[in-house]
Amino acid sequence: MAVFRVVLAALTLVLGASAASAHPHVWVTATSELLYAADGTVTGVRHAWTFDDMFATYALQGLETKQKGVYTREELAPLAQTNAESLKEYAYFTFIKADGRKQKLVDPVDYYLEYKDTKLTLHFTLPLKAPVKSSQLQVEVYDPSYFIDFQMAEKDPVKLVSAPAGCKLGLVRPSDGGTVAQTMNEQTFLSGGANANFGMNFANKISVECP
Amino acid sequence: MNSLRPSSRPLLTCAAILVALLAADAASHALLAKPPFGAPAEPQVGGIVGWILAKQSEFYRQMSGAIRSAKEDGSAVWWLLAISFAYGIFHAAGPGHGKAVIASYLVANQETAKRGIVLSFASGLMQALVAVAIVGVGAVLLNATAASMCSAEKVVEIASYGLIALLGARLVWVKGAAFLRTWQPPAPALALAGAPAGAVQTGHDHGHAHDHQHRAPQHDHHGHDHHGHDRHGHDHHHGHGHAHTHAAAAHGHAAHDHVHHDHVHGDDCGCGHSHGPAPSELAGPGGWQRGFQAIFAAGIRPCSGAILVLVFALAQGMFWAGVAATIVMGMGTAITVATIAVLAVAAKDIARRLSAGRDGGGALIMRGLEFGAAGLVLLFGVGLLFGYMAAERTTCF
Repeated sequence: MAVFRVVLAALTLVLGASAASAHPHVWVTATSELLYAADGTVTGVRHAWTFDDMFATYALQGLETKQKGVYTREELAPLAQTNAESLKEYAYFTFIKADGRKQKLVDPVDYYLEYKDTKLTLHFTLPLKAPVKSSQLQVEVYDPSYFIDFQMAEKDPVKLVSAPAGCKLGLVRPSDGGTVAQTMNEQTFLSGGANANFGMNFANKISVECP
Repeated sequence: MNSLRPSSRPLLTCAAILVALLAADAASHALLAKPPFGAPAEPQVGGIVGWILAKQSEFYRQMSGAIRSAKEDGSAVWWLLAISFAYGIFHAAGPGHGKAVIASYLVANQETAKRGIVLSFASGLMQALVAVAIVGVGAVLLNATAASMCSAEKVVEIASYGLIALLGARLVWVKGAAFLRTWQPPAPALALAGAPAGAVQTGHDHGHAHDHQHRAPQHDHHGHDHHGHDRHGHDHHHGHGHAHTHAAAAHGHAAHDHVHHDHVHGDDCGCGHSHGPAPSELAGPGGWQRGFQAIFAAGIRPCSGAILVLVFALAQGMFWAGVAATIVMGMGTAITVATIAVLAVAAKDIARRLSAGRDGGGALIMRGLEFGAAGLVLLFGVGLLFGYMAAERTTCF
């Protein structure tokens, strides 16, 4: 029916446009270290996230400092705390699977902000709720709503810290192509559409295979 | 009750439209969520979304550089404005920015494309000004931290969603009544008798004020007819079938409803349309006032990007450049919103024309469409308010 087709087309346009979904306002350049205990279990992830200059300026707005333009770690401590505390709401933007099983993370520790060469970097360590031994570890870093665009640093994006010998490290960047696509289709659909985990398309996938 | 048959078909039609509408929504989401954008930098064929995202990221990331250069070289401001404008156009394709709300509002009301454009621009300008106000008062005057500006943003955001929900609720009330009036035989209309009166109380709705005026004189007429139990009299007042409905209900002459039924119903199917406010009436001063409620609701929430740009510009000692960029950005946003608004209005016009030739169901389809669109505005508001629907996140992080 012609009427339907017109109505459908119009609504697809209106709603489709809103499904064009989130878009980043914050850019983060990340480096990550995977921490291992002596017994070969993974205990957590240590991230260092450097913000783009516009967001950094916004975050630093109104902060009192002794010297203009210089922010010490102590002066940044309250902001670091706010950041660390609000990370929980976003699942720390870190999604870990050990041998296919989702791993739980607890609140960040050892967090601080560093301001160096006009760049603001948030350092923090995310401990796993329970250390896990895994032959296939997968760590994804992304914002499901894609408000923040995460990019692993060009140089030394991921490191293994005291990992057992023979572990192989891999990294797939979002710009490497749609490897995520096949697995996400169904999931995207079930979770109610684009907005829910749209950012998955822009996930950085770190993988560690240990013998 | 042979009146059931002709009335149930258009009802099904309207239900089908609403179902189709939801299906279209789901389909568009599913479609757009599919792979094509592995690389944001170089989207593949068909990756319109990826392309939009890439473009706006590109423009946005150039803005900080442009503000810096403008500090040294005044002429770079033009470059800044150009990028901001382009960014606004692409940026508005994302959620928020009142696109869906304004488009649905326009479909729910019989708005013209011209008014759609004006409303879009007014809403865009308002968004820009709210952003300037938050940063201007917060950062410039009070030297507030990002955290406190963010709280201000959150309050404004909740207010905006609440207003959208209210606007939607009012539209649903008004349009639901209009829809049922067109469709319903009089007896069930009893339950709705209060609806138009309520709408008049809430005021602002020109269309209803109009209905109301009509009803008053007819009331007398009707009472007359009723007391005379004169069937012929009903035929005589054919054109006012709609008013009859209410009068009958109010009088509680249930015994006569049966006689009414056929007449009134046939009436509504034939010329129910004429009972709705004519587009020319809506363009009056009352109509504009109503339109401003829509832009206020949709436009009060500032865009996060604008806030970031303003704070950055302020830190560079170039606040005025940030203000100019924000306003230009708002105008770019308005172009996208206006385009969608015009398309929505045009689509409704085509639907109206196509359904006009259909006996009986035409007006009903249109009322159903308006009702559906009104429902969408309410859904948007409630969904946003309670976080069921993802909007653009505020910069609180």
